[in-house]
Amino acid sequence: MAFEGFPPLIADQLHYLLNHSPDSIKIENVCSGNKFNPKILDRFTLVIPYCLETIKWDVIYNSEYAMAPPDFIFGPDDEDFMPCSSVAPDDGQSLPLNKALSEWNNQDTARLLVLIQGLRDQYEIYQRRRVGQVDDDRVKFEISTVLTRKGIEMQMTSGVEKPEEVKFAVPLVMDMGINKLVAGCPWKHEQKIYLQVVYPILRKYESVPAAPRLKLVSSSDLKALFSVEDDVKLPPWMDGMCLAEYLPHLEETLERQILEAVSAIVFRRSFVEALALFLGRPLEADPTFCRKASFLAASGPFAFVVHFFFSSQFPKQQPALMLQSCQHLNQMSVPVKSNLLTEYPWSPRWEVGRMAERLCDFLIDEAANFKKYCNEALLQH
Amino acid sequence: MDDLSLERIDISGPTLASLIQRVSSSPGDVDGLIFGQIHRIVPSNLSDDSPADSVASSSSSSSGQLVATVTSFLCSGKTVSFYDPIGRVDSRRISSLGVDSPDRLIGWFSARRKTANRPSMRELAVTSSLSSQFQLPIEDLENPNSPANMASSVFFLLTTPSTEQLIHTHEYRAYQFRSSNRRVEPRSVAIVNIGPAFRGHYGTFSPKSGFPPLIYDLRSSAMNEDRDEGSLSAKKQALSDQKEIDALAEGLQVGYLKRLVGAEAANYTGGIEEMYERMLAKVESLASEVEQSSAKVFEQDNRNRKLRYRIARIGR
Repeated sequence: MAFEGFPPLIADQLHYLLNHSPDSIKIENVCSGNKFNPKILDRFTLVIPYCLETIKWDVIYNSEYAMAPPDFIFGPDDEDFMPCSSVAPDDGQSLPLNKALSEWNNQDTARLLVLIQGLRDQYEIYQRRRVGQVDDDRVKFEISTVLTRKGIEMQMTSGVEKPEEVKFAVPLVMDMGINKLVAGCPWKHEQKIYLQVVYPILRKYESVPAAPRLKLVSSSDLKALFSVEDDVKLPPWMDGMCLAEYLPHLEETLERQILEAVSAIVFRRSFVEALALFLGRPLEADPTFCRKASFLAASGPFAFVVHFFFSSQFPKQQPALMLQSCQHLNQMSVPVKSNLLTEYPWSPRWEVGRMAERLCDFLIDEAANFKKYCNEALLQH
Repeated sequence: MDDLSLERIDISGPTLASLIQRVSSSPGDVDGLIFGQIHRIVPSNLSDDSPADSVASSSSSSSGQLVATVTSFLCSGKTVSFYDPIGRVDSRRISSLGVDSPDRLIGWFSARRKTANRPSMRELAVTSSLSSQFQLPIEDLENPNSPANMASSVFFLLTTPSTEQLIHTHEYRAYQFRSSNRRVEPRSVAIVNIGPAFRGHYGTFSPKSGFPPLIYDLRSSAMNEDRDEGSLSAKKQALSDQKEIDALAEGLQVGYLKRLVGAEAANYTGGIEEMYERMLAKVESLASEVEQSSAKVFEQDNRNRKLRYRIARIGR
């Protein structure tokens, strides 16, 4: 992203914030408050992840006085959030924040990051206090029982049109260190899985609290290993259950599935290696997660590429194949490709070598069909 | 001090207009102080209903409503002018802004372009800090002998819309800081203009001017001799005031004015006209001086901005 419009001192801080923040912060609504030089940008909105949602904070610098510290406008629902010392009760928690502001140093590029993190910490305390004040027996009980778990974020949503809800974001399987399990791990940040729990607040005329809405959320990179949305089935929430009861069982399941997913990588790798005995070295293969591999194959003079796509359910689910001709181009000069092939003889109980062998047998038959298909595709034009 | 709630905030049309003009002509965001008074007014709730009702209602609201009237403002030309980055108000910086009547300080304003029209983190802190440090008396016409004070808790926020599609170009909102719940609450703004529709407003509106009291004819009347024995300092004050007026009148004493009527008038009109001409010439030279000096101020302002840009490494 380009920051040319910002005064250099502000651009440096913004760069540092976006590159070094542990949360992936986004920036939007960039504009200028300058009358004479409207090209000098000095105000923007930061979209900051919080409790598996995002919060939007406006940051206002003054391009006329680019060396002065910025000011912040928080969301319209957070008018009680006053992290500045002269307003907030003096509990000592806002001290580092006040220090960063009052001893502002525009040369220190990390300052904006320090401020945003300080504010986010304050915001977490503020939301926790709000949730604690909710007059709902279940929520009170849940807070008292899960409080020992670290890293839980809470959020209270209310509004004129929105129903009152309390949201928890509970980090799961924190001790596993998913990154360490994957050999040659390419991830910069530690992969995390969260359970989002949304409690509807009981209205006066209701007597039985409704079951909370549950959803698993993970960082998007984790999809290469396994997908929490597709691969994990959440255990059912019984009536009268609480989070402290629910979590251990869920974590056990998750841990087992993550270990399975890691061992599945090894199995996929051995299958790709077995294929190499028949098809030669792969043209291209995903070395870390082994979700994709491409081989060059030939049937007589007809040469083609075979792409293998593995689902995380491999070997229960057979890999999808796609053939791509090296000799036939369609009228857009794109190589002719087959549809995804998933219907062929397969058994997950076979040895790896046998899987590869049977697959190559199938390929020999399919090559003839594919050649015919390519020729027909050319004739049509 | 009690946490008193304002009913509304009055501002005269010209004051609001000049505030908006000052804000929109500044290059960047600005802040400043606003001055005025707090009045306690008894709401007129006379009705055609039975007299018993009206008596009951008027006695119940005998405490009256509090109305803040904004009469003037002082713009600092920048932000973070009289407070620090965390929003702590510094009274020394307020006096260095050249405030000559700190007892009329009812609050402050902040103006920023293309931002949301709700108070920011720092604005909340400043409003809270200001209202804890400054207060002003409540003017009560009904019972002037019950002096009470109120915190300087008014906050005016002026913004421009952040999307360009909207028709309006300015937005303003007024708030009052309440110490009891540490929040700012929105207050309605009433714009007072001169005219028949505003007679009600003017009933309670008493603009205060900084003019010296015009004590006329203190020495010429023999009847006053006895009363003036009062105090020496009052006399001295009166003398210096008289001198000030005499200087303005270029030596023409107010007492002479009575000669303008009657037989001698013709002799004196010439003198008066001459005085007016001299005064006009003076005003004109003053105007041109102001013009020249404001051109110089503008130049210096530009030079300052260039220096600031150079420090901030803008535009290289």
